[in-house]
Amino acid sequence: MSEFIYNLETFLSENGIYAMTFILLGLGIFGMVSCGNYMKKIMCMNIMQVSIIFFFLALGQKEHATLPVIVENVLGADAYINPLPHALMLTAIVVSLGTTGVALALLMKIKEIYGTIEEEEITGKGWKK
Amino acid sequence: MKNKKKIIGVVLIIVAVSGFFFKFPNIIPAVDDAKAPVHSYISGFYIENAISQTGAHNIVTAVLADYRGFDTLFETCVMLLAGITALMVLSSTAKVGKKQKVSKEIKNASFSGTIIDTAFRVIVPIIVIYAFYVFAHGESSLGGGFQAGALLAIAYMIDRIIPSFNNSLGTFTEQGAAMTAGVGVFIYIFTGILPMFNGGNFLEYGRLPFGAEKAAELHVIGITMIEIGVVVCVMATIINILEVVLERTEFDE
Amino acid sequence: MSVLILEGMFMLLLIIIAIAIIFGKDLLALTVIYSVFSFAAMILYILAGAADVAFTEAVIGVISTVYFIIAIKSISRRCK
Repeated sequence: MSEFIYNLETFLSENGIYAMTFILLGLGIFGMVSCGNYMKKIMCMNIMQVSIIFFFLALGQKEHATLPVIVENVLGADAYINPLPHALMLTAIVVSLGTTGVALALLMKIKEIYGTIEEEEITGKGWKK
Repeated sequence: MKNKKKIIGVVLIIVAVSGFFFKFPNIIPAVDDAKAPVHSYISGFYIENAISQTGAHNIVTAVLADYRGFDTLFETCVMLLAGITALMVLSSTAKVGKKQKVSKEIKNASFSGTIIDTAFRVIVPIIVIYAFYVFAHGESSLGGGFQAGALLAIAYMIDRIIPSFNNSLGTFTEQGAAMTAGVGVFIYIFTGILPMFNGGNFLEYGRLPFGAEKAAELHVIGITMIEIGVVVCVMATIINILEVVLERTEFDE
Repeated sequence: MSVLILEGMFMLLLIIIAIAIIFGKDLLALTVIYSVFSFAAMILYILAGAADVAFTEAVIGVISTVYFIIAIKSISRRCK
C-alpha cells in the first residue's frame, strides 16, 4: 500500500499535475467553441483562466518551503516559495473580472437587438443536425 | 446530433493530452525541485533584499508595488478602460423607457422580509472595517490594495440590492463611478511624478520630497500612496459595471 | 496525506465540474455550480502555497457569481 502511494506521488510530481492542467485548458477552449449559448461561452472562458493561473502557481512550488512572508530574519533563498508568479497572477485575476464585466454588457446589448442569445437563431448556421 | 459531437470531443481531448504526456515524460521539470531554472535567476535577489531595501515584510507586496511598479500602473489603467467601455456599450435608453414606467411603482414597495432587513445592517459595517484592516496591513502580513477595493465594492453591493430603493444610504450614478476611477489612476501617476521634482526618475521612491532618516521609510510611504490609488480605482470600476447592468433589469413580484 | 495527492483530488473535482458545465441545460443551476468551482479553485491555490492569490480569488468569485445572476434575471433561463 505504501509502495502504491509512493508511485502515485512520483507520477503526480513528474507530469501528472501538468497533464490535468492541460486537460482543463482543453475542456475550456472546447466549451467556448462548441456551445451555442453565449452565456455558457463566458463561463467556459473563466474556466480557462483558472487553469492558466494554476499552471503558473504550480511552477513556483518548492519542497519543505514556507510562505513568502519574513517574520524575524531572512533564512536564505531556498526556504521561501518563489514570490514572482504570485505578483503576476494577482494582476491576471483582477483583469479577468474586468473582461467578464465587459462581456456581460455586450451580451445584454445583443439580447436587446436580436431578442435571443442562441447562436443558431442569430446566424442561421451552426452544427448540422 | 449535438450531444454526440460533444461527447466525442471531450473524450478525444482527455485521451490526446494524456497520451502526449506519457510519450514525452521529461518535457517540464518536476513540481517541487529547488534547482529548476525558474528559481535560479532573479527570485533569489528579490527574497534576500526585500526587507532591507523596501521595508516590507510581505515579499509579494514588495515585488508588486516596488520592484514591478509599472505593471501595476497599466493594470489600473486597464480597469479604468473596462469601466468606460461598459458604459459606452449600454448608453442608449431607447427601449427601456417603456418598461421603466411600469416598474417604478413596484420599486417603491419593500419586498424583502424582516430577517434580511435587520441582518444586513449588522453585516455591512463589519465588512467595511475589515476592508480598512486588510488595506492597512498590506505590508506586514497578507493583504494589499486589490482585496480591500473588492471588499468595499461588496459592501456597496449588499446595500444597493437588498433594501427598498428609497432608503439606501447613497447611490453612485454611472458617470460618477467612472470619474472616481479616473481619480484613482490620477493619484497613482501623481506619486510617480513627485520624485521628478527632486532629481529622480519616474516612480523612484528614494527621492520623494518627505524628510526621513532611513531610505526604507521613504519606500514605505511610496507604497502606501500607491495602494490608495489602486483601492479607489478597483472599487469604482466594480460599482460602475454593477450600475450599468442593474439599470436594464426589472424586479417584478 | 501528502500535498500532491490532495492537489490531484481537487484537480479531478474541477475537471468533473467543467464537464458538467459543458453539458448543462438550466442556466441558474449552472451559476450555483460555478460558485462551487470558484471555491474549489481557491482551496487549490492554498495547497500550492499562494495565500494572497487565494484571498483575491475568494472575493472575486463572489462578485462574478452575483454578476451572472443579475444578467440571467433579464435573459431567458433555459438553454437548448
